[in-house]
Amino acid sequence: MGWSLPVIESMQKLGKPYVVVSFPDFAPYAAEHNIPFVPYQLDEWSDTSNSLDLVEKLKPYNADVAVPLYEETVEWAGALNSIYRNDPRVLNRAFLFRNKAIMKRKALIGGLRVGLFEEVYSKDGVKAFMRRLNEANLQLEGEEDSWVHIKPFASAGTVGHRLMKSMAQIDEECEDGDFPCLAESHLPGREFSCEAFIHKGKIRFLNITEYVKLGYSNFIPEGNYLETKRELIHKQVQKMVDIFGIEFGMVHPEWFLTENDELNFGETACRIPGGHILELCSKSYEFDALAAFVVSHDPNATDEELDAIFPPKGFKPEYYHGNVMIYPHKRQFSKLEIPEELNNDPYFIEHSLVPPYEGQKISGDRGGFGNHFGTINFKGEDPDRMTELLKHYQKVDFYV
Amino acid sequence: MEIASDRIFQNFEKSLEEFKESIELTKQEKAAKLASQVDILSQSRNGLVYLLQKIGELDRAGIFNNTVWSEPDKLIPLLVKGTLKVGHPTSSFEILSELRLLAFATGIEKSDKIAQKDAQSFLEEVMVHNLEFAHQDVSEETRLAMPVRELKKAFNLFGFIVSEIDLQGVYEKLAEEIRLICAQRPIMTRKARELIRLVNERFDTTGDSETDRSVRLYINAIYAPSEGARNNASLKDYEHFLSESSVATLEREARAMGDHMNATGLVSGYHSVLLKKLVADYEDLVPVCLHLNDRGVAEWEKFHGLISTLINETVSPDNCQCIYGLARMLGKSLFSRRPVRVGLENLRKVKIHSMVEKRISKSLINKDADVTVLQYLIGGTIKVLGQHLGVGQGNNPTCQSARGISMWSQHAPAMLIDMIITVAAQNDLVMRFDNQDLTSNQLGKGLLDNLDHNLDVVSVVLVPHLDKIYNEMMRRSSFRGEDPHKWVNPAMYGQWVHVGFASCYDYPSNSIVDYAGFVKIFYAAFHPDFNGQHQMVYPNPVGIFLTTNKGVMVGLHAISLLRVDKNKKGEMRAYFLNPNNEGRQDWGQGIKPTVFGNGEKPGESSLPFYQFVARVYAFHYSALDVKSWLSLVPQEEISKVEPLAKESWGKSYVWNQQTKLW
Repeated sequence: MGWSLPVIESMQKLGKPYVVVSFPDFAPYAAEHNIPFVPYQLDEWSDTSNSLDLVEKLKPYNADVAVPLYEETVEWAGALNSIYRNDPRVLNRAFLFRNKAIMKRKALIGGLRVGLFEEVYSKDGVKAFMRRLNEANLQLEGEEDSWVHIKPFASAGTVGHRLMKSMAQIDEECEDGDFPCLAESHLPGREFSCEAFIHKGKIRFLNITEYVKLGYSNFIPEGNYLETKRELIHKQVQKMVDIFGIEFGMVHPEWFLTENDELNFGETACRIPGGHILELCSKSYEFDALAAFVVSHDPNATDEELDAIFPPKGFKPEYYHGNVMIYPHKRQFSKLEIPEELNNDPYFIEHSLVPPYEGQKISGDRGGFGNHFGTINFKGEDPDRMTELLKHYQKVDFYV
Repeated sequence: MEIASDRIFQNFEKSLEEFKESIELTKQEKAAKLASQVDILSQSRNGLVYLLQKIGELDRAGIFNNTVWSEPDKLIPLLVKGTLKVGHPTSSFEILSELRLLAFATGIEKSDKIAQKDAQSFLEEVMVHNLEFAHQDVSEETRLAMPVRELKKAFNLFGFIVSEIDLQGVYEKLAEEIRLICAQRPIMTRKARELIRLVNERFDTTGDSETDRSVRLYINAIYAPSEGARNNASLKDYEHFLSESSVATLEREARAMGDHMNATGLVSGYHSVLLKKLVADYEDLVPVCLHLNDRGVAEWEKFHGLISTLINETVSPDNCQCIYGLARMLGKSLFSRRPVRVGLENLRKVKIHSMVEKRISKSLINKDADVTVLQYLIGGTIKVLGQHLGVGQGNNPTCQSARGISMWSQHAPAMLIDMIITVAAQNDLVMRFDNQDLTSNQLGKGLLDNLDHNLDVVSVVLVPHLDKIYNEMMRRSSFRGEDPHKWVNPAMYGQWVHVGFASCYDYPSNSIVDYAGFVKIFYAAFHPDFNGQHQMVYPNPVGIFLTTNKGVMVGLHAISLLRVDKNKKGEMRAYFLNPNNEGRQDWGQGIKPTVFGNGEKPGESSLPFYQFVARVYAFHYSALDVKSWLSLVPQEEISKVEPLAKESWGKSYVWNQQTKLW
C-alpha cells in the first residue's frame, strides 16, 4: 500500500506475486512498466472508497495480506488485514499506531517507561500542561520552565514535532491549527531507533540504528556502546511487541537510553523508516531488508522462507554503513561543490547529490526534515570514525 | 597525477553490480550513485584506464539510457566543452561518453550505430575544440566557469584521449597551434614544448608540405637546432664534439642555433653547451650564437664581462630558455642602464628565503641537479626583462599581478629587479597605499586560494605577495562609491598610470551611465585621428568585460592597452597585453583578438579599435589633456561601438542615458 520503487524492485527480485495500491496518478507509469496496480483514492473515505470496496478490487489478484509502506496507509492496511485474518483488533491496533496518545497510554498500561503526556486542545491546554510539569519538577521562582514537546497525533516521525522551552514560546509559536495534539514531557537519554521484524509475535531480526544527528545521519549496525546494550534492547522491544499484541510486520520504535540503563519509550511506527535506514541495514547485514519487511507481514510465510530471506542467526556485520542527508545551508545557492577531502576519504563510497538550478532558492520552513538534496554513503570498520565523518559532513556546505 | 586505489575500484564494482541487477525503475537513482564514482575515478589516469575497460559493460547495462548521450551517432562534438563546464554529474556522464567513443575508435568495443572511423573523427573534432584542456592551460572564461576539480577531470580526460587515439586528423590543427603559441613568445614554453613533443612522437613529419616544413622547424629548434646537435644525441657527446671542432664549424653551429632561436623563440639544451663554450674560448662568436642585432652587439662589446659572468653562472641545459631572454635584453640595450647592471649584480648575491626556495622548486619540473634555485631565479629574471610581453598568469586569477610585472619589466626594470631581490630574500613585500604601508605578510588572503605553480620563476616569487597587496588595496577602496581601481591602479603600478579614471559602470546604481560620453573620452584619449596624433607612451591598465563566444557576459578581466596604430591595411587597431597566457580568444559578435598577422609584436593581441572599445569598462587617462579633443570625436564612431556593447555584456545591466559630468 503506497508507491515505492525500491519495494517494487525488491518484490520483482523476490519473485513473489504482488499488487501495488496507490493513487490513480501512478497508473500510467505502472501500466507502462507492467507493474500490477490498483488505483485507489487513499485520501478519501466514503461509500465508494473504503476497505470493503478495496478488498473486492483486490480479489482478482488473490491478495491475502496488506503491507503499509507509508504512515498514511497504515490504517488501510490494518483494515484489509483485519478482513484477511478475520480479526477486527488488527484494525484497532493500526489506529493505535496512528494516534500517539493512544499509543502512549497502551505503553504506559503495559509497563513501559514513558514521559508525562496529555492530549491538548488549545494554547491554554499546553500552558496548563507546562504549569503542572513545572509544579511536579518543583520549579522555583525565576527558574526555567520544563520542556514540553508537542506533536500531531498521526504524523510520521518528526513532522510537526516541536519543542517548547517556555511559556512565552508557547504564546509566540503555537497556532490554532496545531490542535488537537499530544503534549509530552521531555525524555532524557540517548536517542536511537531500532527496526524489529516480527513474525508470529516474535522478533525475527532486530536492527539497531545509531543516530548521529536525528534527521541527518545514522549508521548501522549500532556503535560500540549500544552494542553492549543489545540484549537489554532486545528484551525491551519484545516487551513492547507483547504489550501491543503485534504479530506480523516490522516495528520501528524510538527509545531513549539513560545512563542507568533504563529505556524510555518514545514512540513507534510500523512502516518503512525514513533516512534510507533499510538500505543501510541491507548493506551491513547483507540481505534484502525491504523484501524481509514485506514478507514479515505474511502470516502464511514459512520458517524456511523467512530463513532464506533474513541473515543467519548471530550474523556479525563486517562493515558499518552510514549516510548523511544533505540539506543546503544557505537560502540561495548556485553550485554543488564536493570537497576534495570527501573524495579522498577511505570511508566514502558514493553520493547522490543533485546540482541546483541557477540561483535556486529554498523556502524557510520545512515539515519534519523536509526533502534533502541527496545522500552521501560511507562504509568502514570503525564506528567512532564513522560518527566523526557523519558529524563533519552534516556541517559542510555542499551548496554554495 | 593521483592514483585511484583498489578501494575505489571495489566500490565501483559493487555499485556497478547493483546497477546491473536493478530493475528499469530504480536504474536512474543507481546511475546517479555510479556517476559519483565516475567523478572520483576520472580524477586519475589509472581511473580512466579502468573506466575505459568497463565502458562496454556500462553501456550495455544501460548507463546512457534515457540520457542525452543515449545514441552515440547523434552526439555533437561542439557541445562537449559546454557540457564539461556544467559540472558533475553532467560532466561525469560526458566523460563516460567520450570513453565510449574512444572504445569504438580504438576497436576495444564494437558498435552497430557508429563506425570506427566516425568515432575516430568525432574524437578528433572534440580534441580540436578542446586543446586548452589537452594543454592544461585554459582561457580566462573557462577558468572562471570551472572549479579546480572539474578542470582536473577535463585535463585528465584529454591527456588520456591524446595518448590513446590516432591523431592523424588533427595534424594541421596542432601545427597551427604550435605556430601561434610560439608567435606570442611566451616565457613559459612548457605548453609549446609539450605540443611539439607530441607531434614529433606521433606524426611522420618528413614530408614536404608546408605544414611538415613548419613543424620541422619547431621540432628542430628543440631537438636538433644544428648539424652537430643532430649527430650527437647526448649533451656530453655534443660537448666533446665542440671541443674538437674548428672555428668554422663552431660558427656554423652558432649561426644555426641563433637562427632557430630567433625564428621560434625556443631554445634547446645544446644551445647552453655551445654558448658556454663560446664565452670561454671564442667570444667573437657569441653575438652570432645569440642572433644579436646591432644594438645587441654593441651591448655585448661594452658589457661582455658582466654578461659572460651571468651566462656562466646561470645558463644550463634545463635553464636554457633564458638565453632567448638574454638576447632580447641585449637587443633592448638594458645593460646600458646602470641600475639594471647593479640590480643584476645584487641579485647574484641574494640569499633566498626558504619559503621562496620551495615555491621556485615547485615550479620546476626537470630541475638540473647542479643548478641552484638562485641560478633559476636569475634566469627567470633575465627572461622577464627580455620578454616583458611574455609574462602570463598561468591558471591563477591574478591577471593584475601579471600585468604589473609586465609593465615594470618594460618601464621600470631596475625597480622590478629590486622587488625580486626583496621578496626572494625576505619573502615579504611592502607597498604604500593612502599614506599607509601595506606589508604583505601581515595581510589577509588575496584572490589566490592555491597558487598554481605552473608559472615562470619571477611570477612564482612575486605573485603571492602582489596578489595580497592588490587585494588589500581593493578592500580599502571599496565603498567609496566608485570603482576601486581608480585609486588602486596608480598606487599599485606606479606613476606611469594617469590618475584620471573613467568607468562606464556606476557602482551606486549598478547601471551603465552615459556610455556615449565614456566612449568619447576613450577615443579622445587614445585614437590618433581624434587626439592630435598622440601616441600612447605607457601601457594603460584597462578593465574589460569578458564575454563568451556568444557575447554573453562572464566577468571582469584586467589587461594592458599598449598602443594604438594602423596595420598594413590601414585599419586602426588597439594592441594590448592579455596576461591570460593565450591572446587568441573569441569574445562573440565577431570580436576575435588576433596575435599574428595584424602587425602584432610577439605577445601582443590586437583588435580593430572600435571592437576593443566595445569591451572596455574602465581605463585611466589624462583628464587635462583630453578636454580639447572631446568635441572632435564623431558620432558615427560612437554609434559603431554602442550596439556591440548593448547587445552583449550590456544585457546584464540597466542602461542610464543621462549625461554625466566626467
